[in-house]
Amino acid sequence: MTIATRTLSLTINDEAVGPIDVPETMMMQDFLYEYLNLTGSRMGCGQGICHACTVIVEKGDGSLEEMRTCITGAHWFAGRKVRTVEGHAKRDANGAITQLSPVQQAFIEHFSFQCGYCTPGFVTGATVLLDQLKRNPVRREALEGVISEALDRHICRCTGYVRYFEAVRDLVLRTPGLVKA
Amino acid sequence: MARKLLLAVLTVAFIGALAAGAVFLGLLERSVVSREIEQPLTAEQMKGLVKRGAYVAVAADCYACHVTKGGAPWAGGLPFETPFGTIYSTNISPDREHGIGAWTRAEFHRAVRDGVGKNGHLYPAMPYASYRKLTAGDVDAVYAYLMSREPMKVANRENHLPFPMNIRQGLTFWNLVNLSSGTGTEVAGRSEAWNRGRYLTDALAHCGECHTPRNLTMGMKESAYLQGAELEGVIAPDITKAGLTRMGFDPLVFASFMKSGISAQGAMTNQMFEVVHFSTQYLSPDDLAAMSAYLFDLAKLPERATPPAPPQPVAVSAETASSARSTYLAVCASCHGVEGQGIPHVVVPLATNASLRLADARNLNRVILSGIPAQRFPGLERMQPMPGFAAQLTDQEVADLSNWLRANWGGQKPSVTVDEVRRLR
Ligand code: FES
Ligand code: FES
Repeated sequence: MTIATRTLSLTINDEAVGPIDVPETMMMQDFLYEYLNLTGSRMGCGQGICHACTVIVEKGDGSLEEMRTCITGAHWFAGRKVRTVEGHAKRDANGAITQLSPVQQAFIEHFSFQCGYCTPGFVTGATVLLDQLKRNPVRREALEGVISEALDRHICRCTGYVRYFEAVRDLVLRTPGLVKA
Repeated sequence: MARKLLLAVLTVAFIGALAAGAVFLGLLERSVVSREIEQPLTAEQMKGLVKRGAYVAVAADCYACHVTKGGAPWAGGLPFETPFGTIYSTNISPDREHGIGAWTRAEFHRAVRDGVGKNGHLYPAMPYASYRKLTAGDVDAVYAYLMSREPMKVANRENHLPFPMNIRQGLTFWNLVNLSSGTGTEVAGRSEAWNRGRYLTDALAHCGECHTPRNLTMGMKESAYLQGAELEGVIAPDITKAGLTRMGFDPLVFASFMKSGISAQGAMTNQMFEVVHFSTQYLSPDDLAAMSAYLFDLAKLPERATPPAPPQPVAVSAETASSARSTYLAVCASCHGVEGQGIPHVVVPLATNASLRLADARNLNRVILSGIPAQRFPGLERMQPMPGFAAQLTDQEVADLSNWLRANWGGQKPSVTVDEVRRLR
């Protein structure tokens, strides 16, 4: 039996990937794991609910969108710019991490996670939220609601979310331009 | 000559005005509530009827409308967005001030069957055009049951209707045109099950209120009985024998679908999800069988049934197929399966899905764009949420996908246009 494949090219963490033959029916999560050894996006439910598996898609206008890799085929990402959780921190020429992203740093400072299984998804979700706030700042009173709504879909089985929430709120409040007077 | 003509015109106008006045005053309204109902039920009788009333109220699905999510039981308040404005369901708990606690037996009967409440005419969002066919015994039972509930001190909400729709008395005109004087559902010569099924369908479960299209005056169009209608932007499908067969149901599967809300044809969504949730899952096996027998026009539910043959696939252009297949594999197949087989207990199959077999593609298109929330079904079943793809797919991609799915698995012509999809966004 042969599996039908199609050629796939895309950009992941600012590097061109492909052209490479990938099974037509392969999900993005499997592609990241099996072809690229990018194992940071977590397989939680595999059915689009927990959002542990999400990655960022950088759209043409520079805005960011969160996509679930467990339920989205690898070929959906053809030609697109993807950022996985491995692509958030700054790295030196040898690939060693030199500086975490502000969201990652905030989660560390707030002790936001315990087992960490959900964390790549939260890093992704919070990064997309910050990008949205940069484009469309919200009023201070609305902030708590906006954070809850944006990250509501991310499931964490350990923490009760409070420290994730506080980390994001803290980061939003100390990043200029995200909150309107 | 001129004077004669003037006189004639005036006479006609006068008679017209008199007639309209008579209608408005309700002089032409015919109550189907008989005299004996004026006689109150004894406490003993009331007590004896409560259990039956609970079942009748479930079969008539009263609760779904007379409660809000998280609201006080039977206290009403559910909004109905009509083309004319918003109407709220009312408190039918036995609270004497806000509910029906001070209503007599006859007043209750007249509200349910004539659409005339203690405080004036009801709007036909209350399906009295169907409940008119209820037996007096069943209405008594519901009355007794409701009176046995806890009274809820919850005030009714004000309707938002423009003039002249806000004049309740104006419904005399609607009633004149749209209320049948015949109240029987029994057809001589048909089986007991068939007749019970008809009573369930037409009176208790009031299926026609959604599945029969409405005429110009918003009454049920009897000539298209149960042939499907548009309702709040979705299609309530044709549930005649032909319609059910076309969706892939046989009488046995249909009866169990009304109980469980899930079958190879898909899972109940929208208002039918609530109907299963509040009502049909609790129907007795006999009643489910009767309803199915009636809708399939059988004397009784058969022991065995052969499912209708799947529809013949219809060809689509190579361009549509390639666009749709890519989309399907990219965003549908992980849950619905490459072959459209779904995942038991988690995701509905598409290859046998009823939505793909409807002449109108609107339900399918809406679901592709907006998704479906997670839903719990009877017996520990639950379907995972379906994400909407409005943000990920272009109108063209949705149209291609919809056409391809419908042609392949639903046997429908690829008639969905890009415009049609755009209008649904
Ligand atoms: S693993 Fe993708 S949403 Fe749960
Ligand atoms: S930290 Fe363990 S699941 Fe979130």
